[in-house]
Amino acid sequence: MNKTVSQDATVEQAIAGRPDHTADILLSVDNVSLNFGGVKALQDVSFNIRRGEIRAIIGPNGAGKSSMLNVINGFYHPSEGMITYKGEARSDMRPDIVARSGIARTFQNIALFSGMSTLDNIMTGRNTMMNRNFLWQALHLGPAKEEELAHRAKAEEVIDFLEIQAIRKVPVGRLPYGLQKRVELGRALAAEPELLLLDEPMAGMNAEEKEDMCRFILDVNDEFGTTIALIEHDMSVVMDISDRVVVLDYGVKIADGSPDKVRSNQTVIDAYLGVSHD
Amino acid sequence: MIYREGGQIKTSYAADQQLFPINQDRWVIYGFLVFLFVIPPLFATEYQYEVILYPILSLGLAALGLNILTGYCGLISLGTGGFMAIGAYSAFKITTAFPDLNIFIVFILAGLISALFGILIGLPSLRIKGFYLAVTTLAAHFFIEWAINRIDWLSNYSPSHTIGGPPRDMFGIAVMGPEADPAAKYIIMLIVVVALGFTAKNLVRGRIGRSWMAIRDMDIAAELIGIKPLQTKLLAFAISSFYIGVSGALYVLMYLESVDPEAFEILTTSFPVLFMIIIGGLGSIMGAFMGAAFIVMVPVLLRNLFPALGIDIASHVIQHIEFMLFGGLIVFFLIVEPNGLARLWQIVKEKLRLWPFPH
Amino acid sequence: MDFLYNVSIDPVLQIVEDPVFFIQVIAEGLMAGVMYSLVALGFCLIYKASGVFNFAQGIFIVFAVLCMITVFEYGVPIIPAVIIAFLAMVALSWAIERIVLRNMVNQEEIIMFMATIGLSFFLEGFGQTIFGGDSKLVPVEALHLGRDAIIIPMFGSSIRLQELDLTAGVIAALLVGILALFFQKTPVGRALRAVADDHQAALSVGIPLQWMWVVVWSVAGLVALVAGIMWGASSSVDFSLVVIALKALPVLILGGFTSVPGVIVGGLIIGVGEKVAEIYWGDALGGSIEEWFAYVLALVFLMFRPQGLFGEKIIERV
Repeated sequence: MNKTVSQDATVEQAIAGRPDHTADILLSVDNVSLNFGGVKALQDVSFNIRRGEIRAIIGPNGAGKSSMLNVINGFYHPSEGMITYKGEARSDMRPDIVARSGIARTFQNIALFSGMSTLDNIMTGRNTMMNRNFLWQALHLGPAKEEELAHRAKAEEVIDFLEIQAIRKVPVGRLPYGLQKRVELGRALAAEPELLLLDEPMAGMNAEEKEDMCRFILDVNDEFGTTIALIEHDMSVVMDISDRVVVLDYGVKIADGSPDKVRSNQTVIDAYLGVSHD
Repeated sequence: MIYREGGQIKTSYAADQQLFPINQDRWVIYGFLVFLFVIPPLFATEYQYEVILYPILSLGLAALGLNILTGYCGLISLGTGGFMAIGAYSAFKITTAFPDLNIFIVFILAGLISALFGILIGLPSLRIKGFYLAVTTLAAHFFIEWAINRIDWLSNYSPSHTIGGPPRDMFGIAVMGPEADPAAKYIIMLIVVVALGFTAKNLVRGRIGRSWMAIRDMDIAAELIGIKPLQTKLLAFAISSFYIGVSGALYVLMYLESVDPEAFEILTTSFPVLFMIIIGGLGSIMGAFMGAAFIVMVPVLLRNLFPALGIDIASHVIQHIEFMLFGGLIVFFLIVEPNGLARLWQIVKEKLRLWPFPH
Repeated sequence: MDFLYNVSIDPVLQIVEDPVFFIQVIAEGLMAGVMYSLVALGFCLIYKASGVFNFAQGIFIVFAVLCMITVFEYGVPIIPAVIIAFLAMVALSWAIERIVLRNMVNQEEIIMFMATIGLSFFLEGFGQTIFGGDSKLVPVEALHLGRDAIIIPMFGSSIRLQELDLTAGVIAALLVGILALFFQKTPVGRALRAVADDHQAALSVGIPLQWMWVVVWSVAGLVALVAGIMWGASSSVDFSLVVIALKALPVLILGGFTSVPGVIVGGLIIGVGEKVAEIYWGDALGGSIEEWFAYVLALVFLMFRPQGLFGEKIIERV
């Protein structure tokens, strides 16, 4: 797996070389509402994600961004509305079926399997593609062994890409926060997804770690054409790397468009500055 | 100096993923296996078989089964005794109905029947999590205990519902029943245990083992990355119950030779096996056997220790001391080293790597 | 066909034919249920306040009442004997907090549960060493617990209740009332609920975790003493009582682990359910279905309402 962007390239250079997107819509959220008892987490939200783009979802805390990703994932079922993915509309689907259809994600609070090593965690990302049944596994011969080795090779590619070779056998519970986030990204990438959902991938990182993460995200989008939906609080990152932005506030969509357009939108500015709502 | 990995470089993933990547490990394990197959048949006394080897093998296998369910997949079960009973009674019925059937096949069939029940008991696990699941296993255990006391057909209409190992032989040697040669019985049990042990190790280091551990560590995330929760859990129940069922068959037909339903009482089966995996190390194949060895040997040592020291203690007092010791050790291990003896062994190996340097 | 008849039609006929007997069965079930509730109450308290399912509660019960009986047999009058037993439980709670709980802050629930199993075994060995393994009797007269039967005429026939059981019911009701008030209204009660939720968070807002735990486990010890006395008064006391602790699980499942009123309701349902099932369906199924009925009932319940009748609904977040 080659890199087109060298180790030392800055983020700006990477953006400059990126292609235009087709108008092909990969996922569309149509009038989705999500209620928990009395709490309206999402109200009539609609937007779409084009194939190959980097779509940022931003908004103040509690706006419903993670809930939105959870709906796309199938973890929450919308009270109203539909999700259309690759042309198929659905309102509820089991999370593991969603995962098998090519959607992978990372989580706001790291959801790694703390009892396993980095390598094993990344290998779990390959789970949907491994299907030799348990009898073959028990013997660890022939088909099961080949399958294991083939996927090991793929996992190692991901490890190389994310530059985490040194920690591959370390139990992830012992890793520092920034590295855990990277391993979590690795697990998502190992699934070779078409749509990658990233929930605050840069939370808690310093400037250098953020640059690295940005570089990885851009590389994934460049190299593999993976569509990315990204929740992020750091405005400079959002403005720099995303193609389009959707803004949520109190579960309602208040803006949708290019980063520049959104940045100068008065409603968005008000939401962030905390102008009182009705 | 002795235990150095230096110079042992792996040049392929296959080599890296071997069962025992470090050469020294491999020699020790193979050496130990040779020892196990050769030395006891030559030197062990009947007492040693009955009191040490048979219990460690059969209960160790049960501990292995429970470890798969509880240690690797995080599903706590208090029903081990019930599944041992299923295995034992199934094996009994099958071998008395088909006396010419090879006993290995009898054991496997008994395990399969146990596995089917395991799947049944595991069905609620989709909706019921963690600790509440323990209650379903309790329900299963009490129901099974009740059933074996009531259904006369199970014990071939014995008045006290007793079952045992009828005389059987293989290749002309008596391997079951009162006439059986202890060494022969031992070898049979050892073959079963070693085969199932390696199989377990293979399962645990592949996709299935990872799926189990993923469910254990964070079941929601596991589902979200595509692991099918019900299938994974049911497989854990099935395989665990298979192992525990086979262990029950060994326990009754080979070790104890004759039992009544009281042998499967929860405090004498389910709890000690749970202790074995806690002390031995949750989530460790070797740990299951280490825990079994520990729990079997400590009472034996205690019982021999006091007379040896010239102290005369009544046997029931020794039992009280055992309880206190086990209870105390459980608490100790859970506080200090929840990964049990297996982890302590790993730490010893890590220190050996550096020896004689301190760090 | 016979079996089907015995299981479906016959029991109903029996109930209808002799309604007074049915009421008797229900009354006995309620009484048994009260006993279960008393036992389960101790579990509930500890779970509610420290987030631990204390398997050792069963052995607490035996320990507490044996302590009282032994002291009484040495000639100490009854009231001081009870107080001494309670103080022993406080001492035990303090020791458990120091040795076990303090070193297990923020461990997972399952690990703590297994630790209490270890504790239970330890205390069983310890208790047997101190008190001996014999069965003992609760000094009922000294405690002024009547053992008479009370006969209530009803619909031409009559039902028969034990005074002891009624006393137990009253005491249980009192305990529940006091405890419910305690948890809802007092600052200590609120602090205890915070502790149950999250040990570290509670520590970080300055709640003195260690003292809280000693308080709770002591209260549970008191409940254990009462439960032991009532339970022992109707039969006798020995270490086999420990297995009764397992019966508390279905009660807690039905009632919800953290609800004190739930424990009472759960206990009553289990008590009545068991008795009715045994009397009317027991023979058809081979007898002694009490051995598993409670657990199966709890299991069925769990399938439809995992949080129990009164428990808090669990919402999972990612």
